[in-house]
Amino acid sequence: MTALPSRPLPIAAAPALLLIAISGWELCAAARDATAVPAPDAAAWRAAAATVRAGFRSGDLIAFAPDWIDPVGRMQLGDLIPIEAAARMDAARYGRIWELAIRGARSPDTAGLAPVEAVERDGVAVRRYERAPAIVVGDVLDRLASATSDGPRPTLELAEVGFAPHRCLQISPAPGAAVRIAFPRLPLGRELVGYVGIADVFTRRDVRSPGRLEVEIAGRVVASAVAGVDDGWVRFAAPTAPGPADVVFIARATDANRRICFAAEARR
Amino acid sequence: MSARLLGWALAAATAIAVIANQRGVGIARDEVIYMQTGARYAEWWIGLASFQHGIGEASITRTFGGPGATDNNREHPPVMKTLFGLSGRLLHDKLGLLDEVTAYRLPSAVMAGLAVALVYGFALALWGVAEAVIAALLLLLLPRALFHAGLACFDAPTMTLWFATVWAYARALDGRRWPWQVGVLWGLALGTKHTALLLPFALGLHYLILGYRARPAGGDLRATLRAMIGHRWRVIVSLAVLGPLTLYVVWPWLWFEPIHHVRDWLAFHTNHVHYNYEYLGRNWNAPRFPWHVALVTTLVTVPVATLAAAALGAGVWIARRGRIATAPELLLALSAAASIGPFFLGTTPIFGAEKHWMPVLPTICLAAGAGVVWAARRAAGRIPERVAITGLAAAVALAALSEVSVAEPYALTWYSALAGGAPGGADLGMNRQFWGVAMRGVLPALPAPAKPTYIYTHASTSTRAWSRTPCSMPAGSRPASSAASSPW
Repeated sequence: MTALPSRPLPIAAAPALLLIAISGWELCAAARDATAVPAPDAAAWRAAAATVRAGFRSGDLIAFAPDWIDPVGRMQLGDLIPIEAAARMDAARYGRIWELAIRGARSPDTAGLAPVEAVERDGVAVRRYERAPAIVVGDVLDRLASATSDGPRPTLELAEVGFAPHRCLQISPAPGAAVRIAFPRLPLGRELVGYVGIADVFTRRDVRSPGRLEVEIAGRVVASAVAGVDDGWVRFAAPTAPGPADVVFIARATDANRRICFAAEARR
Repeated sequence: MSARLLGWALAAATAIAVIANQRGVGIARDEVIYMQTGARYAEWWIGLASFQHGIGEASITRTFGGPGATDNNREHPPVMKTLFGLSGRLLHDKLGLLDEVTAYRLPSAVMAGLAVALVYGFALALWGVAEAVIAALLLLLLPRALFHAGLACFDAPTMTLWFATVWAYARALDGRRWPWQVGVLWGLALGTKHTALLLPFALGLHYLILGYRARPAGGDLRATLRAMIGHRWRVIVSLAVLGPLTLYVVWPWLWFEPIHHVRDWLAFHTNHVHYNYEYLGRNWNAPRFPWHVALVTTLVTVPVATLAAAALGAGVWIARRGRIATAPELLLALSAAASIGPFFLGTTPIFGAEKHWMPVLPTICLAAGAGVVWAARRAAGRIPERVAITGLAAAVALAALSEVSVAEPYALTWYSALAGGAPGGADLGMNRQFWGVAMRGVLPALPAPAKPTYIYTHASTSTRAWSRTPCSMPAGSRPASSAASSPW
């Protein structure tokens, strides 16, 4: 009788080969991932920033994508981003938007737009978009002084809502009691657009109930929004008839210390 | 080199690697508290040993406690903090061998080395030198663990003392007459962090299973229960008596009103506030948390090759179950489950992520060691077995080393290749940075102040994390006697 071969079958080496393959892949992938994003002070960012600076006009918006690269973008171009832009309600009023992006990302501010100019700077894409901006005929943030309230008065704040900065009117209604904030003779266009959210991550953690906002024009509710603790900056909109009108924002909360923040603008 | 010496060499290499790595890591927010209180604890013990003061309730309260829940950091037991303080006092203040931060961090680094030695010793005793070396190396080459081990915090030491207790328990199952080690080590683990309270769940279940297996054939229920509970009763006594006793001895705050103070300690953690934690694109700061946080986080914070080897090793363990009477593989699995299990409940705070279930890592690395050796032995044929094992181990270790090399010193931002590295982790919306350690890297970009100054890392606290003069302790964090000499 002949002895069976002692050499293992080739399939026996499969686990080892698999481990070698995974190890080799990880070795390469780790090296690739480490250089996938240019360093904050790298030439790529400086070149991208120089491209923006060369074509920047006052009133342009600069956006970064993905959003986690925002600190690097502000390090390079922060001087061109005033608080009004950084804490904007949305990007509709900006006719020119510069987008600096890595990893093929797009900013939500440029969704649906096609770039009129696009260059690549060693992994940092610089794109410029142009569009007809929304013409704002009335902004509640600018008219706080003329507003009235049947409860606590709202304050103009630069607040953290949904982990992003927003300039907004902040109001904390008493539990169960609606607060009516009226803007007399607010100039309106064809659309009233606004956003609402809950400010302050710590009160969002400790108070879990949502905040509610209704918009009333001429005694009729035209829009409403519910902002939960994880909802961020919630959009609402309503068609309007051009011309001045009394606009009332009605804020409600079921718990104390619910910091409801909202902004709204009338667009032509 | 003897096998035993090799283990200590790996331990020393680990401690050195940790010390070298931490030099680029900014001071963590909590670390400042631990350094500050540790310095005071050390002063108190030195004063006691040198008969400068006795054991008085007033001095103990002033040093270790107070009426508030966080007075003198009484919410955390003192073992490591005391070592931080003693190390700082000896190696920096007295001998001047190390800069202040490194001196305070050294005990944690030594504990990381000890963890590697323990893992090595565990595998050597049960399986062989190849498994031991590979498991130890892979434990050293864990980017997040290496990072945490470089902080004057409790997470790496907790892993070490947890595993030391596991091993002491496994050894105590040989029926020795005085298995005091397991109780004392568990007491030290308790004296390091409250998470050691989970350990008896693993040890207890393992103990009962072994007892059940050892039940007398044909015995009735009473005999079975007697076998389950009493088969190595001295181990139980050691844990039940020496564990709490050790905790009591090392924690002066318990010397007065111990029940009240233990209750306060545990209440702090059962009612712990939830901090912000980003996971898969959403901020989580209130329960219920996703059940899979610990699973997914572990999958993307342990090198992929290590995980793959561990998966093979787990299969090997399952296939070989029952070969060793004390079922060490089952013990390791239960140890890991006890450590990570609570994070599947959806209510346990998740903000600390992988550092809170670090005791799972020795199990993963031991399984990886078993997996590599098994796979290499199967493949060996045309090439000698030793070469096959060395080559495969080198491949897996190199992969882990490559992850370490790209992770430090910002390892809290790092994710493995499975996630696409740090940028991939960011794209996935995974947590990146906490405790303010990363701010050290921005110091060179700040204008240099005319004189040493403070850098504030948290808007909500006045702790100072790193100065323009690197490797110096915050002056306000030092005992008054040494603050004057601080360069801050």
